[in-house]
Amino acid sequence: MNDQLGTPVQGVTLYSFTRPFHAREYDLESLIRKVAAEGYGPGLEVIGFSSLKGFPAVEDRFAGWFRDLLEEVDLVPTSLAINADIGIHRDRLLDQDELVEYMRPQIEAAAKLGFPVARVQISITPDSMERLVPIAEQNGVTLALEVHADQYASHPRILALRDRFEKVGSPLLGFTMDWGATVKGFAPSRVEAYRRRGATEEYLTALVDLWDEYYRQGPPVDQDDHNGRFGRFIGLAAQHGHPEFGIDSGIAATGLFGPAPVDDWLEIMPWVRHVHGKYFGIDEHGEEPSVPVRELIALLVENGYSGAVSSEYEGWHWNDWQSPFDIVRDEQAVQRSAAETAGSRMVTNPAEARAVLKRHHATAQQEGAAR
Amino acid sequence: MIPDRIIEQGTLRTAGSRASVEVRIPWYRALPASCIEDARLTVDGVTAPAESVRWEMNGRTFTFAEMRDEVDEWWFPVDSAVLSGELAVASANEHTVAVHLSLYIPYIIIGDGEVLRIDEHDEKLMTTKEEVPA
Repeated sequence: MNDQLGTPVQGVTLYSFTRPFHAREYDLESLIRKVAAEGYGPGLEVIGFSSLKGFPAVEDRFAGWFRDLLEEVDLVPTSLAINADIGIHRDRLLDQDELVEYMRPQIEAAAKLGFPVARVQISITPDSMERLVPIAEQNGVTLALEVHADQYASHPRILALRDRFEKVGSPLLGFTMDWGATVKGFAPSRVEAYRRRGATEEYLTALVDLWDEYYRQGPPVDQDDHNGRFGRFIGLAAQHGHPEFGIDSGIAATGLFGPAPVDDWLEIMPWVRHVHGKYFGIDEHGEEPSVPVRELIALLVENGYSGAVSSEYEGWHWNDWQSPFDIVRDEQAVQRSAAETAGSRMVTNPAEARAVLKRHHATAQQEGAAR
Repeated sequence: MIPDRIIEQGTLRTAGSRASVEVRIPWYRALPASCIEDARLTVDGVTAPAESVRWEMNGRTFTFAEMRDEVDEWWFPVDSAVLSGELAVASANEHTVAVHLSLYIPYIIIGDGEVLRIDEHDEKLMTTKEEVPA
């Protein structure tokens, strides 16, 4: 527990609006303008390979246009999500030398576009994270490795990264907390999607029960445990005459709905530099039924977190009957209410957000210097 | 995964003995050609012979063998690629167009060095939009 309560900065990732962007209902500019106009900011996160054609190449002219646009609409760039595409070649994985070089232009792109954070991914080893520090320093960008299901904060690979971050002592190394690691139920909207595709009620009940069984057990202890769980979801679908949902439900149950408890995050809390406020839907009471948004916001506030929270709506993968814009609006209302219940508030004013985020990153610099 | 988005409605075209349709990535982010493993084009239950299938993206035309090592040409989420193959398609009628697509997701490693592969399928009913002379 931190002495001072945190004031997290509200924001959104354009990933939440994948469907309307993919459908060409909005282009990058009109989507950014929509985010600003609807008040989903002030924080804005973008995925390079989703939103920027030609990424990681970013022309000066484009970067200027992008920065001017954000300034005009008063949004604050929080994180550029970049990818560790270790499997880009068909016949082999990139080695870590290649992976470091693969990340370099993406980190440079983050700096060029004005993002203080680049979200990086799990395939980067502790050694390689250390090797990326000079690149991060040259560009003034914090590298926040995403802790995402099927990993979780106390997973051995994450603890190995944390221990290395502590040893290296660079303020530019940290984590992105993804709430999908700490989910409390199989998302009802995904159950509804299977129902609409003809799944029987018996199967759907058994599916939710199996996930609940793993929730009670806690997250998988190792890869074998993970694979065993995946296999059981495939078997369950086959057993109920729905083999078509086997792999799909296995991916969701193990890779999207991670069953770690909320306080697992305490293992890495001081290194959390950015947050993906992952969620899957909003119910008839205006609450998120599967992600404990209120507990997670309370945890951040109580631990003095004053960085950005990007609302990351992922239910769009299967939910084609509700507007992602309405769902983001409603989830952010839950976040704000939760922060107030915890005795604080979410920052929604752009100028204040800039100041708070600047301090958030500067504090890491001071703590890094003190270590 | 948004498989319902793969086939662009109303884009079935014929050119001589070939048929083509515009396709969109059923994924949220760009992937390089090397991650597009295979695609099958089926019209009215007849699948184009594998050796005749071509993939046109960013103004370049590839066989799937040529795409295997191509990491510089990317399929961007709002861009259409064109999938074509040898298929006799009578014009004027309504046709059932089916596309099967296999993609590798290069940042998701499952198990021991294995890259996640997703298989997606889409099927739509449409008429040939235009008859292009061969």
